[in-house]
Amino acid sequence: MQRKLMLLAASALVMFMTVSMAFALGDGNGRKGKFLYRKNCRTCHNGATAKDLSPADMTQAEWKATFADMSKIKCSGDWTVSEEDVNDIFTYLHDYAKDSPSPAKCS
Amino acid sequence: MPDSNQKLSRRDFFKASGLIAAGAMGGPALLGGLRTAQAAPKAPAWTSGFSACDMCFNKCGLIARVEDGVLTKLDPNPKFLKSRGMLCARGNAGISHVYDPDRLKHPLLRKGARGEGKWQRIPWDEALDMAAEKMAAVRRDYLPCGHLFSAGSDLQSQFVGRLAEVYGSFNITSHESLCLVSNSRAFLDTFGEVPFADVLHSKYIIMAGANRFEALVTPDSMDLMTAMREHGCKLVTLDPRYTKTAALSDEWYPIRPGTDMAFMLALAHVIIGEKLYDAQWIAEKTYGIEQLTEHVKQYTPGFAAEQCGIPAEDIARIARELAAAAPTSMVYPGRRSSDYEDSTQIRRSFAIVNGLLGNWDRPGGLLAARAVGLKGVPYDAPWYDENHEDRIDAETVPMMFEHEGSFMVTRDAVLADDPYKIRGWFIYKTNPMATAPNRKKTIEMMNKMDFITVVDIAMSDTAWFADLVLPSQSYLERTDPCSGLQGSSACACVVKRDPLIEPLYESRPLFDIVKGIAGRLDLGEYFDFTMQEFRTRQLAGLPGAEEILDRDGVYYNPSKVYGIYDGRVYKTLSKKVELYNQRYEQMGIDPLPVYTPPAKVPANQFRLVIGRNALVTQGSTANNGLLHQFVPENTLWLNPEPAERLGIADGDLVEVSSAVGRQSLKAEVTDKIRSDTVYMLTGFNSLSTMQHLAHGNGASIAEVLDGKYDTVTGNAALHQTFVTVTRKVA
Repeated sequence: MQRKLMLLAASALVMFMTVSMAFALGDGNGRKGKFLYRKNCRTCHNGATAKDLSPADMTQAEWKATFADMSKIKCSGDWTVSEEDVNDIFTYLHDYAKDSPSPAKCS
Repeated sequence: MPDSNQKLSRRDFFKASGLIAAGAMGGPALLGGLRTAQAAPKAPAWTSGFSACDMCFNKCGLIARVEDGVLTKLDPNPKFLKSRGMLCARGNAGISHVYDPDRLKHPLLRKGARGEGKWQRIPWDEALDMAAEKMAAVRRDYLPCGHLFSAGSDLQSQFVGRLAEVYGSFNITSHESLCLVSNSRAFLDTFGEVPFADVLHSKYIIMAGANRFEALVTPDSMDLMTAMREHGCKLVTLDPRYTKTAALSDEWYPIRPGTDMAFMLALAHVIIGEKLYDAQWIAEKTYGIEQLTEHVKQYTPGFAAEQCGIPAEDIARIARELAAAAPTSMVYPGRRSSDYEDSTQIRRSFAIVNGLLGNWDRPGGLLAARAVGLKGVPYDAPWYDENHEDRIDAETVPMMFEHEGSFMVTRDAVLADDPYKIRGWFIYKTNPMATAPNRKKTIEMMNKMDFITVVDIAMSDTAWFADLVLPSQSYLERTDPCSGLQGSSACACVVKRDPLIEPLYESRPLFDIVKGIAGRLDLGEYFDFTMQEFRTRQLAGLPGAEEILDRDGVYYNPSKVYGIYDGRVYKTLSKKVELYNQRYEQMGIDPLPVYTPPAKVPANQFRLVIGRNALVTQGSTANNGLLHQFVPENTLWLNPEPAERLGIADGDLVEVSSAVGRQSLKAEVTDKIRSDTVYMLTGFNSLSTMQHLAHGNGASIAEVLDGKYDTVTGNAALHQTFVTVTRKVA
């Protein structure tokens, strides 16, 4: 029973975070997001530990869809960054997506 | 010891015989006797090595011959497919670039007023200390974004970007906003990327806003000739000047400057109206044919004829011929589009006609970038909380390229101190004093700065107004990173450069200079590698490439040429070729190009246009001793009719005057130009007296051109200046 309650609470938390993040997504600081992405994400997304990742790997709509439900991002459970930082990282990835006005040339 | 080592070869025998004989004769006869006895082929007195040209942006493969440590000849690399195994006159003249007596020889510190030309030679350590101290002071007083960084097209320019980023400045500009960004914008926003033209396999090409037989682009310039002479490709050129491209065309129309969009929209009118397009391809691959159909109804050939000065029946016929040859036909995407305030929309009309031809990603049409395979070398730049929020040129125009910036918008912002102050400037191998319109304003901008460091091979006008000038090495004296090149259907390839001669004087590579400055700013960790280590990381995904580069001077990636997007979505919002641009609509920009007639040329004035000559790369070659013999000065092209009216004879000295400046040069009276238009080459009449062939020679176009820019990208608008021309009395 206790385990069920914990699961429920965890689900509710994820749901709350997802919903609140969904509302907060966008208009972050993309420049800081680039710095945060390099510091926090590229440690694994470096082509060795995990797939090399660039904003230009996806379209803006795909980045939105990916971050709309962050629980589906495999590593999201390991993230230690704040909500604001996540939004900055999202803004960076979204603003330099492959169909953005300035697609990233390299990360 | 094996037997083979004990055998005496025929050559050894004769050598020994000679020695014995010479010994018997003794004295001075010894050496001569030995040479005669050898009778072996002489080893060449020279060595050779591969490199990639740097006399313009094309980076053509070359083989350099070196005798006694001196470069004596540059030849094309026959294995270099991008240039079809050729090297142009400028490429051959690279030797004069290296051995130019006006080359910078050691670090120089300004001692007089800016532009006064008083310099003091200082040692490198002192120079780097000073550059770093001044940069630190600017960061302290004006925050990191208070420093501007500018770099031209060069394999090492990326290290200027790296220095700017780790220093903390978002303000970095390239040369491209004085050249081609509106063209890149227009095609990117239509096809999802900037295309490469498969000229070689095209059957019908409209050349507008480009002069491909003089403004050389490899392989397009060579392929265009092959396509025409061997494959029967038809070339139609629109140009107010009778250029060499016009001369070699099947048809040339001296179009009224600024009306190209009317011509293109009329082509679309005919192609759509007469249903000359591939309906299935358009339905599957494009977005917005309905809106475009409605939009171009107003742009009849008759309307365009009145605007362009080209007969309506010719416009309609060309549209039909172009469509009949589709998809192996194109409106050539051109390159330099720094011409009008609506340049992006003008080039969008070019892109839209290509969309109607269904030539995207197909032979003879417009191609996507091919895979080259070089890897990026990432780094983790620090973050500075105490900084300005954005670039100084942000938000003035809606769709500037973040990584190129806009020199024109930046200059205005610096002069206005709005939204903040910039007081430091680091410049590498770009010369805005010679290339940016309204030179007086650029001088004002330089006068705003507390400290300017310029790294260049020669005392350009920009260096002439700097505080500290550091001599860089030529492309034949240094180790460069690898570079990936797109060669249309010819190739996707990698090149590198290694030193072929010892560096002259005290010159150093840019990489060493920024490494030295970064180290003094406690940023050395971001440059803690050698160039070879950098290249090794670049080539990590291409096993064996380095050996091939050493063997052939070029590495080819046999990547897909056509059908790259088969099964993939296009990189646009609609995931299709956007005839109608959705993002533009969202941003309040015309989603379809709306034609606005250019301003009429005032009475007794002319429209000044810029252009290229195959022997000149702007200000960077005006002082080249070899090229100077072919183009010793620039002249003003003036039609005979107004010349007679103004009493100007061929060769007369004339004054060209605009709202912002005036210059004097010789008139070249010629019917190769419209009567309402004048033209001169760029790069001449430098202020720097340390460019002895360019200084005081001809006219500086930068002094005369007005400083307007494209309202979408911030690209300079160089064709909107009106000038008066008067004969100067001796």
